[in-house]
Amino acid sequence: MESLTSNQKVTQSPLFKFLVLEFICLTLMIADKNHQLAQPVRNTLSLAVIPLIKIIEWPQELFDITQVALSRQASLIEENTRLKEQLLDARFKVQQNVTLAAENERLRAMLNASGNSPLATSVAFVSNINQHQKRQHIIIDQGSSSKVFTGQAVLNLEGVIGQVDVVSQTFSHVILITDTEHALPVEILRTGLRTIAYGDGQKLSLTEIPTSADIQPGDVVVTSGFGNRFPRGLQVATIESTAVSPDRTFQTAVAAPLARIDRLSEVFLVWPGE
Amino acid sequence: MTVSNRSTSHRLMHASMLMALLLSLIPWPPAVLLLQPHWVAMLVAYWSLNAASSRVMYVAFAYGLLLDVLMGSLLGKHGMSLVALSFLVTKSARQLRMTSMGQLLGMVLVLLFNDIIIRAFIDWISYGYKPVVYDLLPLLTAAFIWPWLKYLLDRFQVAVRNS
Repeated sequence: MESLTSNQKVTQSPLFKFLVLEFICLTLMIADKNHQLAQPVRNTLSLAVIPLIKIIEWPQELFDITQVALSRQASLIEENTRLKEQLLDARFKVQQNVTLAAENERLRAMLNASGNSPLATSVAFVSNINQHQKRQHIIIDQGSSSKVFTGQAVLNLEGVIGQVDVVSQTFSHVILITDTEHALPVEILRTGLRTIAYGDGQKLSLTEIPTSADIQPGDVVVTSGFGNRFPRGLQVATIESTAVSPDRTFQTAVAAPLARIDRLSEVFLVWPGE
Repeated sequence: MTVSNRSTSHRLMHASMLMALLLSLIPWPPAVLLLQPHWVAMLVAYWSLNAASSRVMYVAFAYGLLLDVLMGSLLGKHGMSLVALSFLVTKSARQLRMTSMGQLLGMVLVLLFNDIIIRAFIDWISYGYKPVVYDLLPLLTAAFIWPWLKYLLDRFQVAVRNS
């Protein structure tokens, strides 16, 4: 161990450096946790790690490019026809929905109810980078430079996926609804019963349903719009099984998310309407 | 050690640290992920032992912050645990170099365990994380990898120095 000689300064000792660095870390953590003050630091550092992310993504991109290059024309034509059919189908459904939406607006106007504000969305791609955090995070390729904010709702075509947890300059971390720390205000579509869905690692668990409430397997769970994070009426999950809590005060239910959370490739970010 | 040797050694250090960051980013199946060692911490331990100077602490701090940004964790969490690891190794580097491979391995495992404890503690403070036994599995793989890592990096350094 090095002992300090009289001509050495205190600032040269390892212990001093150690304490200073730990103090900086502690300050950063408190700033990051409480006031988002560390956001500029995070944004700057995130620029430095972009090359690392690109290197990890590179084999996947190469695979995609080769797959397109090698796939036969016949299979592409086949896929094209299939997509056209899907588009026709979707357009037909939209036409039906237009009349329904107009009718809905009229009824809302008659009841003086507030209308649904339109939503702005944007597509983000999921990066397949390993996360060794103990949280269920995915990384998407949009960050504060595309006006992503903490707490923003993230969905895909099947249903709700989660919300933005940590924002960096060009990428952000999304916490999934199945994370054990995540709670989502939901509503049972069939009965309109409002409750909260907690993540349990694999699925969602609804633990606070009154014993008198009507709930059965197969019910669709949608977001209730409470808490102002998620817009109202987005599909979340279907109820798989119901039970009564051990102390018989509540009903509990397990719901399976509609989105296939383990294999996501692209997601939608939702901005609340102005 | 001449100046050129020191700079090649530095370059080797940064190259290996970047490799460690990449290794921890590669997506694996969930079963393998449970066993994945904390590469960056192992490399920090190796270079602190090798350089035996407190300058490695700054390196540990910088790479810790990069890891925090990549993992979306609280900024400074990995920094704090890696700086502590580097400090503890640097402090006892001279004694550790004298000991046998087995004793060194034991000491490194204890320090890596300390690193896991610090991170679990920060997680517990920040969002009430409850540690599970699986968190200790990376120590098992680290025990297998450490001797090879040390041997390879030692040989590599000698080769670079002689060329």
